[in-house]
Amino acid sequence: MTEHVTEKDVRDIAEYCRIGLADSEIPQMTADLNAIIDELAPITEYDLTGVEPTFHPIGDLSNVMREDVEGQSFTQEEALSNAPAQQDGSFLIPSILGGGEA
Amino acid sequence: MEFGTMDIAAIRSGLAAKEFSAREVAEQSLARIDAVDGTVNAFLEVTPEAALAKADEVDAAIAAGAFDELGPLAGVPVAFKDNMNLAGTHTTCASHMLENYVSPYTATCVQRAIDAGALPLGKLNMDEFAFGSTTESSAFGTTKNPWDTSRVPGGSSGGSAAAVAAGMATVTLGSDTGGSIRQPGSFCGVVAVKPTYGVVSRYGVVAFGSSLDQVGPFARSVRDAALALNAISGRDERDCTSQDVTIDFTRGLDAGVAGMKIGIVPEFMDAAGLTSEVKYAIEGAAEKLREMGAEIVEVELPHVRAAISAYYVIAPCEAFSNLSRFDSVRYGFCDPSHKSLAGQYEASRAKGFGPEARRRIMLGSYLLSAGVYDKYYYPAQQVRTLITQDYERAYETVDCILAPVAPQTAFAFGQISDPATMYATDLYTISINIAGNGGMSVPVGLGEDSQMPVGAQLIAPAFHDMNMLRVAAALEEAYGTARVAPDFADVKAGA
Repeated sequence: MTEHVTEKDVRDIAEYCRIGLADSEIPQMTADLNAIIDELAPITEYDLTGVEPTFHPIGDLSNVMREDVEGQSFTQEEALSNAPAQQDGSFLIPSILGGGEA
Repeated sequence: MEFGTMDIAAIRSGLAAKEFSAREVAEQSLARIDAVDGTVNAFLEVTPEAALAKADEVDAAIAAGAFDELGPLAGVPVAFKDNMNLAGTHTTCASHMLENYVSPYTATCVQRAIDAGALPLGKLNMDEFAFGSTTESSAFGTTKNPWDTSRVPGGSSGGSAAAVAAGMATVTLGSDTGGSIRQPGSFCGVVAVKPTYGVVSRYGVVAFGSSLDQVGPFARSVRDAALALNAISGRDERDCTSQDVTIDFTRGLDAGVAGMKIGIVPEFMDAAGLTSEVKYAIEGAAEKLREMGAEIVEVELPHVRAAISAYYVIAPCEAFSNLSRFDSVRYGFCDPSHKSLAGQYEASRAKGFGPEARRRIMLGSYLLSAGVYDKYYYPAQQVRTLITQDYERAYETVDCILAPVAPQTAFAFGQISDPATMYATDLYTISINIAGNGGMSVPVGLGEDSQMPVGAQLIAPAFHDMNMLRVAAALEEAYGTARVAPDFADVKAGA
């Protein structure tokens, strides 16, 4: 198995993804990712010079326009109905400026 | 009456003749779930109030002499994969992340089924966020295969397939990103249709791979699946990729296959890992189609061998992007013990997502990172072009392609645990999502060795889903309509 990603890479990726992996989980995640990335090799084996990419199966998508009319949307109450924490009609989050007592 | 095992036509004619009421259908269906689902575990939530309310609506329409105005699914017991929003129900995606999430709105496909008269029985088990091929990654326990409860039902729409196979619903809806409708359909011996990308609106279906996801029906007959597709398909202004499909999918089901050209792909039939019992069953299906007057033609799909790797680049990248919305702030699991927002994000997402979801998010993040993007992501989208062109070229010669759905029949729980090996089992289904074509599974008997159902996959050109349904109807004629799994066929529920 090729080492595509190191344990250090995996820690960086986890931080970027905002997934707090425990130290004990890093070796297994590293091994799993390397095994999966190994299987992606066929992608790198074609001569793709001049081949256009297809980012979406419906190629000729065009912008969908409509009249700018008022529609029905969630009430504030509905929008907040699944919030883990709320206060005064808003989503409540811990302090983002550091050191705050949430 | 065992309504869970009846087809749409039988329910419709019984209601029209006032042999039974929609309320009886709902009550009996709910009683059957009570009797059977302790063993199968297909349902994550049962919705008796919604089912009975809709049934009363249907009965009121019948009493008012308005039967003809009722939709094509009037009084039909239906259930939905738990990644589909139905207002007031939990929509968990079988994940702790959404364990307490209650839908404030309803997905278009669900709404259309209900508007067509369907009785909503509940929400169905799945692999967490649809990442898997066995339903083992559900955070709420796996679903059992009704044909043999020591085996997996397939996945990710395992609950949708098992509910129909155990006679707990006439129609269910699932979603398919790389095989998640067709493979459980094959494993559980039911008809399972992934329409062409764009046939059914994805609005309100929790997104996994937005350029690959498509909703479709499970049923025990091709006609029932086609009727369900009629009800849920078509343009939805809330999903700009949904197309203005006005096809009657039941049209041509009785036409037979005489004169049709059906492709067989040597690349598929000679693939390493294809078990002899599945190969034998698919060759048998080809022979039956030939006897019925179809011409069987070999077609080449030279780039499909790269489909799995292209998929495991594209799908995780799209999943990484889609699952970034689970931020522990607006909805979803939150670990409140952190004093910084970053700490809350990291702890909540680590605890809320299961191992496979975390793996795919991590993989997608890696593949989209600078430098790696050019090595895998961009080439994967170029390979997608080549695969799409392969299919287009094949369809210059044939109307439909016949292939296996999976290399094997349903396997035992825990038999495949290594992620890379599990991914390889998607060989036959994945390239269809990459190209955006329609594909479906139809039962073609039991495997000689395992005595488990084998599904034949029929693959149609984009927006010619009729072709595969027509061939499937012919195979159904030859093999018989899909049965309720034997162990559940004689279960009597309620009075």
